[in-house]
Amino acid sequence: MTKSNNMPLKWRLKRNLEWYSFIAPTVICLAVLTYFPLLNGLRYSLFRVSVVGFGEKFIGLRNYQALLTSSAFWNAALNTLVLAIYSLIGIPLGFALASMINSLGRSRAQSFFRVMFYLPNIVTGVSVVLVFRFVLLRNGGLLNTALSMIFGKEVTIGWLTDPALTKIGATILSIWSGLGYIMLICLAGMQSIPTEIYEAASIDGSNAWQSWLHITIPNMSGTFAFLLITRIISGLSRFSDLYMLGGNNAAGNPNASLQTILMYIYQFSFATPNFGLSTAGSFVLLIMILVVTIFNLRITGFFQKDAA
Amino acid sequence: MLTKRQKSFRLLTILVLLALLAITLIPIYWSVVMSIDRTVLTEVPMPPRLFPKEFSLRSYEYAFKTLPLVRYFSNTLFLTVVNTSICVFFALCCGYAFAKGKFWLTNFWFLSMLAVMMIPFESIMVPLFLQYRNWGLLDTYWPLILGSFAYVFGAFLARQNMSALPDALREAAFLDGASEWRIFFTIIIPLSGPTIATLCILQAIGQWNNFLWPLIVISSREKHVISVGVSMFNANQSTMYLGPRMAVAFISTLPLMIMFLFLQKYIVASIALSGIKQ
Repeated sequence: MTKSNNMPLKWRLKRNLEWYSFIAPTVICLAVLTYFPLLNGLRYSLFRVSVVGFGEKFIGLRNYQALLTSSAFWNAALNTLVLAIYSLIGIPLGFALASMINSLGRSRAQSFFRVMFYLPNIVTGVSVVLVFRFVLLRNGGLLNTALSMIFGKEVTIGWLTDPALTKIGATILSIWSGLGYIMLICLAGMQSIPTEIYEAASIDGSNAWQSWLHITIPNMSGTFAFLLITRIISGLSRFSDLYMLGGNNAAGNPNASLQTILMYIYQFSFATPNFGLSTAGSFVLLIMILVVTIFNLRITGFFQKDAA
Repeated sequence: MLTKRQKSFRLLTILVLLALLAITLIPIYWSVVMSIDRTVLTEVPMPPRLFPKEFSLRSYEYAFKTLPLVRYFSNTLFLTVVNTSICVFFALCCGYAFAKGKFWLTNFWFLSMLAVMMIPFESIMVPLFLQYRNWGLLDTYWPLILGSFAYVFGAFLARQNMSALPDALREAAFLDGASEWRIFFTIIIPLSGPTIATLCILQAIGQWNNFLWPLIVISSREKHVISVGVSMFNANQSTMYLGPRMAVAFISTLPLMIMFLFLQKYIVASIALSGIKQ
């Protein structure tokens, strides 16, 4: 195998065909179902398209112009960004949780808490929305009732009805269903820190608190970066839960306060079709995610690793 | 040896964690209680109850009667099994080729796959939808299945793990005249158990929760997957009794919960791995 360059061409061809048979289905699938639609989308975004195949007209960058001057799109972009940033609160919370679980040492209690706190992540998205519609209900919702008991007076916060507060309500929902994942990744990160470092520090008289502050946190920077990036990327393409919260409507009810970019794209693809506009929106989304991804690859040193 | 102080600190941590756990799990518990309480009608019971006032399974009966839940489950199960099998098998194929294979343009193909990881599915969703519409494949399962032939993340994970396998076994088989496919099936796959398990778990969870793409391409009621079917029911029947609604929420999440309880160790390990390897 190592001397393949000296082998006759026919043999090399056969070997190549053999290897190509392994990757062919995937390569064809990517070409037809990813690269081709990508180029098509780019084309659509430069045309005025409402019903594809009937009267497409080249209009250059005017779809992008329409998009970037539309207040609805800016509202959606801003909502998406604000929601993505709010959802980052989950990272310190999950890290604190993981620190507490990790301090129990490898034991039955540790695996119990690890599994149980992960449980909400397993709950299907639609069930979370079904239940949280009533947890966050204005009158008689679980959260408001709990707050009423704590503060000793009737609390009626419209977590999902008051447009000024819906983003907080939606964040409570996403943190509830995402905290377990963050905890799990943090825990895995912590447990991969070599124990020798902790032993050396404790010989030098460092207590648990100091070790956490000066060893755990600095060593977790890679994990934090990973979580930060994945949270932002998934936040940028958030759709399902908010679509269901608005009653299976991409308008981002109430008052478009929960419309994300992807919901905007959906609205102009399937509710009131304007495929030129919606594909232009898709490319703006793609560029936003690409910027975050490339930034991520840079800080994690991916390019250097590949070059070396 | 733990000192007395450390012991009491540990106990305190456990108590705090238990309290936090109770807060976290209370929404699930509360919804289950509402689903088995006959007296829960259109209003949320005030104050919230920890136990049902009048136990009954009528809500579940009602849920199964109004919704084709069995149908939704079979659809989702079918798609999950088919897609997971296709995804994992072809991910392993690619992983093997890129880990051990030497062929023309290896790097070109590898990079063209790497690039796909940066293209979010959502950004090509609309043109892809139009493509399937031109092919006349909307409202069939083809759009939900065909994409499974390219599970790029799986291919990378497989490549990483297969690179670590020693070449000696392969070379011995190769000298005995075995083809690469034979080597793949008789040597590589049996040695890739943990990778296969991880990929299957990640795919099965992802497939079961898939929402946006099935919502777009499927329009017939009887072809829906569970997530879309239940969300439509939820949107349409806003006056529907609460009990049955909570019953539907619980039923639709039950299969994954059961799978989780049985495979929790592997699932937790797979998720943690998928986070680290990226």
